Amino acid sequence: MTSEADLLQENVVQEKEFLSLLDELLELEQGALKGSATLESIEGWNSLAVISFMALVDERFGVSVQPRQIAKCTTVADLVGLLGDRIGAEVRA
Amino acid sequence: MDLTGQTILVTGASSGIGRETARLCSQLGARVVLVGRNQERLAETLRSLDGEGHRAEMFDLSSADEIPRWLKSISASSGPLHGLVHSAGIHRLRPVRVLGSRTVEDVMRINVGAAIGLARGFCQRGVGAAGGSIVFLSSVTGLVGQAGIAAYAASKGAIVALTRALAVELAPERIRVNCVAPGVVTTPLWQGVLEMLTPEQGAALEAMHLLGLGSARDVSYAIAFLIAGTARWITGAVLVVDGGYTAH
Repeated sequence: MTSEADLLQENVVQEKEFLSLLDELLELEQGALKGSATLESIEGWNSLAVISFMALVDERFGVSVQPRQIAKCTTVADLVGLLGDRIGAEVRA
Repeated sequence: MDLTGQTILVTGASSGIGRETARLCSQLGARVVLVGRNQERLAETLRSLDGEGHRAEMFDLSSADEIPRWLKSISASSGPLHGLVHSAGIHRLRPVRVLGSRTVEDVMRINVGAAIGLARGFCQRGVGAAGGSIVFLSSVTGLVGQAGIAAYAASKGAIVALTRALAVELAPERIRVNCVAPGVVTTPLWQGVLEMLTPEQGAALEAMHLLGLGSARDVSYAIAFLIAGTARWITGAVLVVDGGYTAH
């Protein structure tokens, strides 16, 4: 039986995977993006990047994110938050 | 436009342009063979048709090589097909930076591969009636550029070239091949795309259509025109139905 610690570890791994996906999408160095970074400050975060982001999270995490949800995000941590429950839910099921 | 006594096969008949085209063909007197993947929605289309003698066929068009044999079995019971409309298709909003080969293959398989399979099947003896007519669905995106849809645009541009190549090849057999290039039409396919756009992006796209967005019925008139004897002298053509999108 998976322990609480294992579940938390899994969560961290998936969050890292998510940040890595963003780094990849925006062609940044791996590990460059931090949760506190504002989306406004990220070069290349434009309307096409938003569409690409939606497509990738759908493909990799099976989560459908709406543009209006992204519009409410101001930081990278906010973006992670959009998938937060889903990342957890995958391992809790 | 009169299709009395003719049998027309329509793919993508579960919804959108395919459904509306099937309905219009039935209103013009045709017997329609509806093709789709969703049994419930196909049945709904079937119930909405005028007249009798129609049928619904479930078939997965992703197996292009299976299409000719399947069309042969259709015509064995329904008689030769006077027209074929390939309205089934998929759309993927994928900017090139996230456009993988799997998405490209999926889009090309249904939008183009199936079109070729259907044409191949239609040419078989006993399947396509003499003077038969094929109509493919292209798109304004196959003619002019738009961001974020390279795979879809490539497939719709391929349909234009395919239409012309087949028109030349099949003219000696009096089989006409044409395509319709719609602008944005309010169908379930478009609804799926709209969900990926901001309200501003959707509105901007709508504003590029001088006459506003179109309806499936608008496009179905063009398809029926090309299928029927009204287009007796038209082959290899791209009929743009776009509310003025490509006019400017």
